Amino acid sequence: MADLVESAEQAELRATLRRLFGGPSACLARPEPDGDSYYDEKLWGVLAGEIGLCGLSLPERYGGSGYTRADRAAALHEMGRCLLPSPFLASAVLAAETLLATGDEDLLTGILPGLAAGTTLAAVAYQETPGGDGRPVRAVRDGTGWLLTGSRSFVLDGSQADLLLVPAGTESGSALFAVDAAAARGLSRRPMRTLDPSRRQARLDFAATPGRLAGAVGAGAHAVREGLAHATIALAAEQVGGAERCLEEAVEYAGMRRQFGRPIGSFQAIKHKCADLLILVESARSAARYAASVSSGPGTDEDLYSAAALAGAYCSTAYFTVAAENIQIHGGIGFTWEHHAHLYFRRAKASEVMFGTPAEHRAVLARHLGLPAGPAPGR
Amino acid sequence: MRIDSVQSFLAEFEGWLEGLGIPRRRPDQVGVGDFSVAVFDDQTPEEERAAVDRGRAWEGTKYDAGWGAVDWPSRFGGRGLPSAFAAALRTAEQDWELPRRNELFAVTQHMIAPTVRDWGTDEQVERFVRGLLRTDIMACQLFSEPEAGSDLAAVRTRAVRDGRHWVLSGQKVWSSMAACAQYGEAICRSDPDAPRHTGLTAFLVPLDLPGVTIRPIRQMTGGASFNEVFLDEVRVPDTLRLGPEGGGWQVALTTLSAERSDSGSLGAGTVDKLLALARHRGLSSSALVDEIVQLWIHDRVLALNNQRTVAETQAGQAAGAQGSLGKLAATMNMRRTSDVITALLGDELIADTGEWGTFAWTEQVLGAPGYRIAGGSDEIQRTIIAERVLGMPRG
Repeated sequence: MADLVESAEQAELRATLRRLFGGPSACLARPEPDGDSYYDEKLWGVLAGEIGLCGLSLPERYGGSGYTRADRAAALHEMGRCLLPSPFLASAVLAAETLLATGDEDLLTGILPGLAAGTTLAAVAYQETPGGDGRPVRAVRDGTGWLLTGSRSFVLDGSQADLLLVPAGTESGSALFAVDAAAARGLSRRPMRTLDPSRRQARLDFAATPGRLAGAVGAGAHAVREGLAHATIALAAEQVGGAERCLEEAVEYAGMRRQFGRPIGSFQAIKHKCADLLILVESARSAARYAASVSSGPGTDEDLYSAAALAGAYCSTAYFTVAAENIQIHGGIGFTWEHHAHLYFRRAKASEVMFGTPAEHRAVLARHLGLPAGPAPGR
Repeated sequence: MRIDSVQSFLAEFEGWLEGLGIPRRRPDQVGVGDFSVAVFDDQTPEEERAAVDRGRAWEGTKYDAGWGAVDWPSRFGGRGLPSAFAAALRTAEQDWELPRRNELFAVTQHMIAPTVRDWGTDEQVERFVRGLLRTDIMACQLFSEPEAGSDLAAVRTRAVRDGRHWVLSGQKVWSSMAACAQYGEAICRSDPDAPRHTGLTAFLVPLDLPGVTIRPIRQMTGGASFNEVFLDEVRVPDTLRLGPEGGGWQVALTTLSAERSDSGSLGAGTVDKLLALARHRGLSSSALVDEIVQLWIHDRVLALNNQRTVAETQAGQAAGAQGSLGKLAATMNMRRTSDVITALLGDELIADTGEWGTFAWTEQVLGAPGYRIAGGSDEIQRTIIAERVLGMPRG
């Protein structure tokens, strides 16, 4: 049975991080607006170095500390609560998990310790550039190595990453390649404008860029799928943290704001809305904890994918609903640039789509349930 | 006996069921056996009584074999296990061809038994609790009145002290399955001059006393499991007063809180039946597939929520009013189920073709609104959640 109860250690880790992060304004105020980095590098040093967050759930033989993914989820919950801008999700979760899934011992030994220490940042470039403006990435052999050509977009932390993991088509199926971004020739990286200012995405174009094969030829898609499942589950924990925070702020504001001579929170229209939001938050918490527990256990791929789809579908919808209703409860002030309610709204909307839309997650579940899945609605 | 885990506990329980020769249910098998997704049992009084008798016989067998009240201490015939074990056992029972437990069983075992345990005198605990758990004694609620529905503290049924007796007069309503119960837990006004929450006293009223009249109310489903109960100068001995004089509101809250905790599992298993139907028939549109998956997600998340509530209570972490969350989430899912089955069956929901497991869904569709009212309406639950969990200002 999945472990749905938070452990004392997880609660303690969350309390430590909450003190460290402060509120959303503290988190978002830190990065230098004109600096290279969108996140606080000093704080990143503390998180990755002193606290050892990046390696928390990675195996000890690769420089991690061997805790569970459920423990990592506790940390993500706090990051989500304060909208922490950080490369954690892209590098310590998506890239690290994708690499782990390759089982490529040489690469794991060579790269993971850097990711675990937070000194190397990695990104996974798995999404096509839409429209006719870029070709899917293909890899061809070049002596002992490989050369990659094609285009990828929406790459989370793609501009900053030291290492890029790129699935590419070969003559014998999909394979994953590791590209050293600093040394790579023929690589162009262009930041994309993003809806959520606390996340960075980029378009990458490869023109005969050298890459190193990671894992077996033919196994690239599987590694990415597994990495994405773990990233979806990690994102669900963030979403619960964000949703929880939005509801707390809505309730607090409704208790303070007076109209018609009484706090608006004393009106049933507001109370009942908040009660419905609490059901969403608590249900999302159950779904996210369940998925984190499944991802920490020895289950099958099918267990992992269906748990990720369940958490992804539910928590995405729940977070966006709570973030949107939070603005509604705040009224005009919630629609201003100065108030941070829109930053949660932006994060919630971006998270809803990232790693798969709710409809895409539900299409996965339809197959899992043995229902004849037509084309996923909406896409 | 040492029990290591819920899994080994369930394996042992299911081994016991197998040993008794009870067949396993096959929810995936379409077109075979009884099919019911009724929210309220729509039965004639005779059918209702026969169903209750079958249920009581099974509960007795289970109790005597040590599988009845597993989360109660041994002096009540239980095993002192965490409530997660009892919850898992109830879920597992749904996979076996066992008598359907109608509402009266939940009221008797999960609501009134704990209320007597918490509020009863030593003599009352001795006299009633084991009997309630074993269902030798069946008990219903006598709470609502025509003028006291959501506003339960407005009850007007009078309790007047007369020596070592109380004389009860008034009208109770919506008492589920009172006709099959031997006792009713009645909330009455014992002091009309006291503030309304403190002037109430609770009693265990034997329903065969002179002056008790039970009249069925026919519901919109066609069945009549609810009743009006008229109390006309019913003389109840003081030994059947439950809790202190003037403490009726607290006694009622104990029962209601148990009711809400128990109601998170309302409608459990219904979505599996809908899925089996969908797989059997095939689905023409991907929009319909998506609707079914959304329903399944809500159903699965509710089950996880209930599981988490039980586990957190066990670990001493529970926040208050979790029961209201579970009840509201469960009734929302019942309504979603009605919507999806409407889309799935279309015309076959509104006129009976005679095909197995189709028109019978009307019982679900017609019954669902009842549970959005019973046990505290959805609106009352939302107010409870907002005020007691979120701490929002009272209106």
